[in-house]
Amino acid sequence: MTRAFPYLLLPHLWASRNRANRRERGDMSRAILFGGVAAAVCAALYEGSFWLTGQLADYAELGDYLLRIGLSWLFLTFLSFLAFSGVVTALSAFFLADDLRLLLVAPVATRRLFHARFLRTLIQSSWMVVIFVVPVLVGVGRARCAGLGFYATALLTVIPFAVIPVAVGTAVTLLLVNTFPARRARDLLMLMGLLFAASLVVVLRMIRPEQLLRVESLPDVTDFFATLQSPITPLLPSFWAGETLFASLSGGHDLLHAAALWTTAMAAVVLLTAAGERWYFAGFSRSQEAPKARFTRFRGIDTLACWLPLSTVRRQLLVKDTKIFLRDVSQWSQLLLLLALVLLYLYNFRVLDLQRIPYMSGFIKNVYAFVNLGMAGFVMATVTVRFVFPAVSAEGAAFWIIRTSPVRLRDFLWSKFWSGLVPVLVLTELLTVAANEFLGVDPFVKVAAALAILCMSFALVGLGVGLGARYPRFGADPSQVAGSYGGVAFMVQAVLFVLVMIVLVGWPASLYVVRHVRGLPLTAAQQLLAAACTIAGIAISVFVWLASMRSGVAALERMSD
Amino acid sequence: MIAIHDLVKRYGQFTAVDGVSLDVQPGQIHGFLGPNGAGKTTTLRMIAGLLKPTSGSVAVNGHDMAQEPEQAKASLGFIPDRPFIYEKLTAGEFLRFHGGLYGMNGNGIGDRVREMLELFELGRWENELVESFSHGMKQRVVMCAAFLHRPRAVIVDEPMVGLDPRGARLIKDVFRTMSARGVALLMSTHTLEVAQEMCDRISIILKGRIIASGTVPEIRAMGDRHDDQLTSVFLKLTGGSALQEIDEIV
Repeated sequence: MTRAFPYLLLPHLWASRNRANRRERGDMSRAILFGGVAAAVCAALYEGSFWLTGQLADYAELGDYLLRIGLSWLFLTFLSFLAFSGVVTALSAFFLADDLRLLLVAPVATRRLFHARFLRTLIQSSWMVVIFVVPVLVGVGRARCAGLGFYATALLTVIPFAVIPVAVGTAVTLLLVNTFPARRARDLLMLMGLLFAASLVVVLRMIRPEQLLRVESLPDVTDFFATLQSPITPLLPSFWAGETLFASLSGGHDLLHAAALWTTAMAAVVLLTAAGERWYFAGFSRSQEAPKARFTRFRGIDTLACWLPLSTVRRQLLVKDTKIFLRDVSQWSQLLLLLALVLLYLYNFRVLDLQRIPYMSGFIKNVYAFVNLGMAGFVMATVTVRFVFPAVSAEGAAFWIIRTSPVRLRDFLWSKFWSGLVPVLVLTELLTVAANEFLGVDPFVKVAAALAILCMSFALVGLGVGLGARYPRFGADPSQVAGSYGGVAFMVQAVLFVLVMIVLVGWPASLYVVRHVRGLPLTAAQQLLAAACTIAGIAISVFVWLASMRSGVAALERMSD
Repeated sequence: MIAIHDLVKRYGQFTAVDGVSLDVQPGQIHGFLGPNGAGKTTTLRMIAGLLKPTSGSVAVNGHDMAQEPEQAKASLGFIPDRPFIYEKLTAGEFLRFHGGLYGMNGNGIGDRVREMLELFELGRWENELVESFSHGMKQRVVMCAAFLHRPRAVIVDEPMVGLDPRGARLIKDVFRTMSARGVALLMSTHTLEVAQEMCDRISIILKGRIIASGTVPEIRAMGDRHDDQLTSVFLKLTGGSALQEIDEIV
């Protein structure tokens, strides 16, 4: 019996249902945390679009023009995101998924399998865009007092709008896999995508968008948007979507652009299905071939490790972890994005114009130094949860090798600690020292901040490694591990720790700066309190560090119960 | 060389291994047989130090696994049924890493790695990533690792799974050679022909208990009728007579 293609999606639905029915430890706290963050983002988007649309209404025709262009630009942003997401998701859904071998040996027509996979790709690539676009459009609609027709039009616009770029992305994947091996194509795409995202972030910051917010530059804003309109813009689905929605917002209908969206979406699906029937199986077959993988040997790491004063076991663990990390493009490429954000962060301090507040600039600079310390703490927590927390889980199904070898689990975990500590400490110390240098803060504050980062690095990396050992997820990839119950628990504890440290370091340091600016020495009581705070900060850090590691070792040892 | 005494493993109310005792002498190949779910893998995992027994003791080369786990493990090699290894390392890198875990260092490790890879016919794959290996090749890499540090005892869980006839023959030859050199091998298998061909002694486990133990002729003698094969006695001891009903059902 031939069943319709949605039947092939049933295992995913059943798996989701079973997952929802099976309560695991931390499900509720994770749901509250992620749900809360999502709700806050949606509320901010709604409020932002409602406020902005309301503001633009004051500018009559100019406001309408800006709203129209804004909608078009909003959809253009989503268009590029959906196309890229479509390429990456299609690669996984059509060529790399584990269940494909099961489905392809079953008597399932290629066309049905292709449709099922395309629907899955469409849903996986576009759900996030839909979640973000809904509060924006509701905000715009509410601000313009739009009727139900606008929301119906929005629904009928978003569906074909999502189909077109995802279909194009899938077609690109089909072409890529028929040209390169699937795993190679995935690595290339991941790298290209992250480079694109990183450069976009840096370029957007470098054009200094804050200048556009000044009232006196409003005519420049109009010119700016006008120059961005190119002759090809009207040919893009984002323009059609923007026009359709704007017409509906104004109480009219733009059937031409709505028709363009729907006919293009349908044509894209028909053409993609035809291409799938012709090239899908050939591409899948190519992706199953296992030619010798090309990779970098990293002989330098072996040589370098020989020079380090480490035991054989620790040296081999370090070499193994480093090589595996560097050979997995999905791992190290995320560092590029992080690097872009760090550059951006430092650039912000570089362009910070504190001289506009002449009498307060000295004090404000030092306040900023503590803001910087807090930010560095949060960067440290983020880097730790993404790269250090999954260190034990990263052993995956190969963890039996460590457990059956004559290596104490204590040594294993401490090796993970040291290999995580060095990069985290170097990164955050550089960040803090460079930012404080750009700000020109008091030398005492510089030293205090550097010492605080040193303490925080030991504590947070210890906390990450320890909790990572207590809540390992050997089957999951590192980004999933970071979002697991243990990862969330780490982030909550890390944020609390950073806040405590800022208070303990910030209070005596700011006291010193205030007295120093006024030319007064610290009193004996103040000196005593400052020393107590410093000792408390160091003691808490050492306690968090050692207690977490001890608890991690105990958890690893309990694993054999 | 491998001595386990009154080993028990309970998961809540369920007893997976119930008072198992075994003694594998140097140079002996000891077959560990039993139907699915009988407790073979659980027992082997406790001997390898992957699982903590509820009670009982495991000693390898005179070292108690609970009291001196590092010393016990240093004398032991383990070959699991599913060969999970680091996919992003080459076979050579993986073996050097594995040797390092057992304290092997210096120039000798490179020669030893090549020697083992040649022995298991993987010499030309030394510098290729493990992710491009077939299941059988990964299984052979794991065997290279298990014998790399010259263990005194080796635990093998289903050694022939995924191996082609040539690979299976190779493994049998390696096991015999190691046994002749005094290495004790405890091997779980479902392939009764392999057990009959290779093992000096056999233990059969059912529902967590050893129900028969002895040399191959002794085990064979436990059958109802004179039979050269172990299959009938295995089925008799483990309740396999129900198989006769299959014909009627099918």
